[in-house]
Amino acid sequence: MALPFSYHWRNLLVRKTTTGLNILVVAAVVGVFCWLIGFAGALHSSLATASDSRKLIVLKSGATSESNSAIRTDEYNKLNQIAEVERLPGSGAPLISPEMIVQVQLPRVRDQGTTRANVGVRGVTETALQVHRNIKVLGRSFAPGAQEVIAGVSAAKQFGGLEIGETIHLGYASDRPYRIVGYFSAAGGPLESEIWGYLPSLMNAYNRAMYSSASMLLQPGAAAEPVITQINGPAIQLKAQTEAQYWSEQAKNIRIYLNITYVLVAIMSLAAIFSIANTMFSSVAGRTREIAMLRTIGFSGVQILTGFLLEAVMLSLLGAVMGCLGCAAWLATVGRTKDMFGATTFTSLAFEIQLTPMIILAALGCVALVGAVGALFPAWRAARVQVVTALREA
Amino acid sequence: MGAAAIELTDVRKVYRKNRIEIPVLEGLDLRIESGTFVVLMGPSGSGKSTLLHLIGGLDQPTSGRVRVGDYHLEEMTERELTTWRSRHVGFIFQMYHLVPVLTAAQNVELPLLLFRMSAAERRERVRTALSVVGLEDRMDHRPNQLSGGQEQRVAIARAIVTDPEVILADEPTGDLDAQTSEGILNLLNLLNTDFGKTILMVTHDPKAAAHGQRTLHLDKGVLERDTMHAPRAAAAASVN
Repeated sequence: MALPFSYHWRNLLVRKTTTGLNILVVAAVVGVFCWLIGFAGALHSSLATASDSRKLIVLKSGATSESNSAIRTDEYNKLNQIAEVERLPGSGAPLISPEMIVQVQLPRVRDQGTTRANVGVRGVTETALQVHRNIKVLGRSFAPGAQEVIAGVSAAKQFGGLEIGETIHLGYASDRPYRIVGYFSAAGGPLESEIWGYLPSLMNAYNRAMYSSASMLLQPGAAAEPVITQINGPAIQLKAQTEAQYWSEQAKNIRIYLNITYVLVAIMSLAAIFSIANTMFSSVAGRTREIAMLRTIGFSGVQILTGFLLEAVMLSLLGAVMGCLGCAAWLATVGRTKDMFGATTFTSLAFEIQLTPMIILAALGCVALVGAVGALFPAWRAARVQVVTALREA
Repeated sequence: MGAAAIELTDVRKVYRKNRIEIPVLEGLDLRIESGTFVVLMGPSGSGKSTLLHLIGGLDQPTSGRVRVGDYHLEEMTERELTTWRSRHVGFIFQMYHLVPVLTAAQNVELPLLLFRMSAAERRERVRTALSVVGLEDRMDHRPNQLSGGQEQRVAIARAIVTDPEVILADEPTGDLDAQTSEGILNLLNLLNTDFGKTILMVTHDPKAAAHGQRTLHLDKGVLERDTMHAPRAAAAASVN
């Protein structure tokens, strides 16, 4: 049987200052870790829900996003010849959605409008709702030809002026504002961060003659690769991507940001390891005679080592609990929605950060490991205390 | 002559420091009968503590044989010695070496954690050990809430809680005043006479030595004198 739990617990309590400081260091690491993993998870799930395997995004050849793409009508019309495109029953019209994307600056709700961010405004036709299958209009959609738009639920939450009944000025039609008439959801995907309106009206408002992109829905079971090859080929000379590829590219800079944060968390974890190691070293140094006594009465080196590791893990887990609570409090205070710019669109993409039980478990697991690694050498040293020498020094 | 509890045959112990050999014990032969209270005296550096450590299985002789009960310690591995110590020897130190964050009862319980034993049985044993040393009413006190004499009594309770055959005490009264020392020595007498423990005690104090039945004088690693005393009356072993 190992040393009693109360032995380790009270040894932590008697060193209030160092224990407290260690808890703070670990809590900081865990807080950032939870936020980061929550954000990465939100990004992943947002892009995963956005990605319809039957959908292709078509851009101008050489364009990296919809915002720097321009497709002429004659180029767009060539897409109609693709046999694998799903067609409407009856009319046989291909399910291809011509779209135009522009940006509008709106005040952020989170700082009471002190700062503004770019929000994507997408011009679409009625076909869009059949191509983008995860879009659900909440309330009423815009009427073709009317000065009306609908706002994505995430955009409405983050930006001011998007309440139903409010109006926003778009393009050159400043004397004829657009009224918000409804909301739409996109299963948590990035489209929820946009405002949608009727394509001809918005093209007119922005004096545009070309589409930004086209989204097309393939027939069930149709392979995407041959279609992409056909679109990218000499006959059409546009650039097609699956939706997953497209959004993955748009989230590239967010991934860079995440990677930098991962490095920071790794550095912070190292600091936590050193902090715990330092504490445990001083703890071992201050308890040499105690360790010698325990060895004398029959505790083995392994039991001493395990005891010190357990003590460090307990210390780390206390910090982890504080960190998780801190992260939860932060999300409750500041809000769970995090918006970031897409890599090439420069429009805001919003994600809902979730502090899930899995994230908490992962944090606890990682932190237990950090504690054990930090305490390994001091604990090994404790296990190898020279009993006779330590007793003589007493 | 009773059965020998401890037997040392031609024991040498040499420490090496910076390639220099420092002999501490020089071919020591010793036989201690079971149930005797032996006092070990001698000047500093005479090898008293080293002898205690060898008999306690904390150190190994450079040569020679050390038998305690049925165990030849010089043949045992460190792991075997660790287990053996937990079952056959009780240690009492000058500075008590109690764990400051644990209560008296928890300190006494420590050696029992190495046995397969129910919590209820452990509690019962701890209570018995503390009542032997007269501290059953101090079970929940921490070391800093006890006097020096009481701390040493808790340490004695810890040493006897596993009911070992041999108790090794390294200057158990070295840090105590005369009156408290007398109480501790009487307690050791009680353990010897009423519980039949074989006790080997290191001390510098001639008054303390008078509590033993036999005094061994070591000097420069050699047994210089071996004196037998009349056994102290058990009646003298007042624990209060």
